[in-house]
Amino acid sequence: MFGFLKKVGDYTRDAVGAAQYMTQGLAVTFDHLRRRPVTVQYPYEKLIPSERYRGRIHYEFDKCIACEVCVRVCPINLPVVDWVMNKATKKKELRNYSIDFGVCIFCGNCVEYCPTNCLSMTEEYELAAFDRHSLNYDNIALGRLPTSVTTDPAVIPLRELAYLPKGEMDPHGVPDTAPRAGKLPEQVLATLPKSESAPEENG
Amino acid sequence: MVNPTSRPLLAAVAPGLDLQASFEAALQGFGLSAGAAHLLWLPLPMVLVLVAAVVGVLVNVWLERKISAAVQQRIGPEYAGALGILQPIADGMKLVFKEDIIPARADGLLFTLGPVLVLVPVILSWLVVPFGQNLLVSNVGVGIFLWISLSSIQPIGLLMSGYASNNKYSLLGGLRAAAQSISYEIPLALAVLAIVLMSNSLSTVDIVDQQTGAGILSWNIWRQPVGFVIFWICALAECERLPFDLPEAEEELVAGYQTEYSGMKFALFYLGSYINLVLSALLVSVLYLGGWGFPIPVEWLAGWLGQPIDAPLVQVITASVGIVMTVLKAYLLVFLAILLRWTTPRVRIDQLLDLGWKFLLPIALVNLLVTAGLKLAFPAFFGG
Repeated sequence: MFGFLKKVGDYTRDAVGAAQYMTQGLAVTFDHLRRRPVTVQYPYEKLIPSERYRGRIHYEFDKCIACEVCVRVCPINLPVVDWVMNKATKKKELRNYSIDFGVCIFCGNCVEYCPTNCLSMTEEYELAAFDRHSLNYDNIALGRLPTSVTTDPAVIPLRELAYLPKGEMDPHGVPDTAPRAGKLPEQVLATLPKSESAPEENG
Repeated sequence: MVNPTSRPLLAAVAPGLDLQASFEAALQGFGLSAGAAHLLWLPLPMVLVLVAAVVGVLVNVWLERKISAAVQQRIGPEYAGALGILQPIADGMKLVFKEDIIPARADGLLFTLGPVLVLVPVILSWLVVPFGQNLLVSNVGVGIFLWISLSSIQPIGLLMSGYASNNKYSLLGGLRAAAQSISYEIPLALAVLAIVLMSNSLSTVDIVDQQTGAGILSWNIWRQPVGFVIFWICALAECERLPFDLPEAEEELVAGYQTEYSGMKFALFYLGSYINLVLSALLVSVLYLGGWGFPIPVEWLAGWLGQPIDAPLVQVITASVGIVMTVLKAYLLVFLAILLRWTTPRVRIDQLLDLGWKFLLPIALVNLLVTAGLKLAFPAFFGG
């Protein structure tokens, strides 16, 4: 008899506890109703890519010396460097250069190792195409600069979370002049003692 | 046996707004016979209720998407009409124009019959939903019992479509739907029975009448709080809403019994589930939240303003307030259902059956017994 009553009591306590948890959960979801949306309305609003964003690769034909370092450091030997040896001048003559962005993994090794800095990363990431072969960019296509999110009049640029002022979670309505949280590298540098911040000697 | 305090007031309300009588009288005034006038009247409330149900679904879909978006800090549909209000119509139009596919080696007849069997009983149940004293299609004597019996046809349709699809996900979804509906029907019926015990009638109109004596204080939710919770949980399970949406759990069963459906047949399922949700919310408001009753009885308000309750204008205002109150209460419950959807995780099938048989059923039985005891002990408060 007593055991049965205890069982009933435990059962009731469980049920009341479950109801309590449910109410707490409902309070959480209800509280979210009054919060502002944090989503980016993509084609109309875009996040500003960070400085080290690894987007589509930009290539300057005139700087290239056809050394093929980019090919050697590429995980899959992707860049195609089409050159011929000019016997008269004993110099390589570059004819064509292409990277297939349908295959590229945007690791940035080619950019890292290019001796003449003719390769660089842009912030372009909208590479959708109807035909995957049209993603094979030649030196003309590689030389085009993308439209920056901040200069495109059809787009409202929004800052990413790490670039927002302290305590700010939503990029909407934050003024451009509001500084990001924390210090910029040059600000950190300015606070350091002079001896440590002296530039390294590396020729 | 009827609550003596509220009855005379309502008897005064009742004759004022009889749309059928006035419509038929008007038609007979044009020289039509009584039979022809009645024949012209007959389809009107049915079409009106059908339109109301479908519009209710459109509003429901829009609300569901907007509230879900708000809970998840999104915006939701925005470009189809102002605030995306036309999005459900766009979705519906898409489904209407989509190709109607019956999978190879599926049972064509059962496959077609399934969604029909799911939708028809749900729409038929709107017969007994009152929006006012005389504002319902038919004041059937067995009212609420008709709804319970009609809602048990639905799992047959679900099982039928699950079986006919010739797809293992569909079959599992159909079986789950049947198991779920059967186990939740019983506590649902018992919760309704406790209400019926207090109202001394199965008719939905009588059930609401019995709650109109003292405004918000006379609503059944105060006398049947346990019954209210049981009914709401069971109603959610019957509608296959999220803590209990196992039959169409997309992570496990693709889309359950709807997996093989597309086009208009899928639209029927879609429509059926949302009409069912609105219907359940309406019935909760009828059974527990005083139906069309305003929190303060309109008779009192009319009395304080010095207006006779029988005056035509007062009657029209009273009826409008009644419709608004019914719909408002129903949509508040729909809002709660949507909020619950994003609050509660889905239960497992064994937990579902546990909850139904081992928790809700005994509690509903005890609730019924306690209600019967209280009715004998305090007949004045429990509809003796």
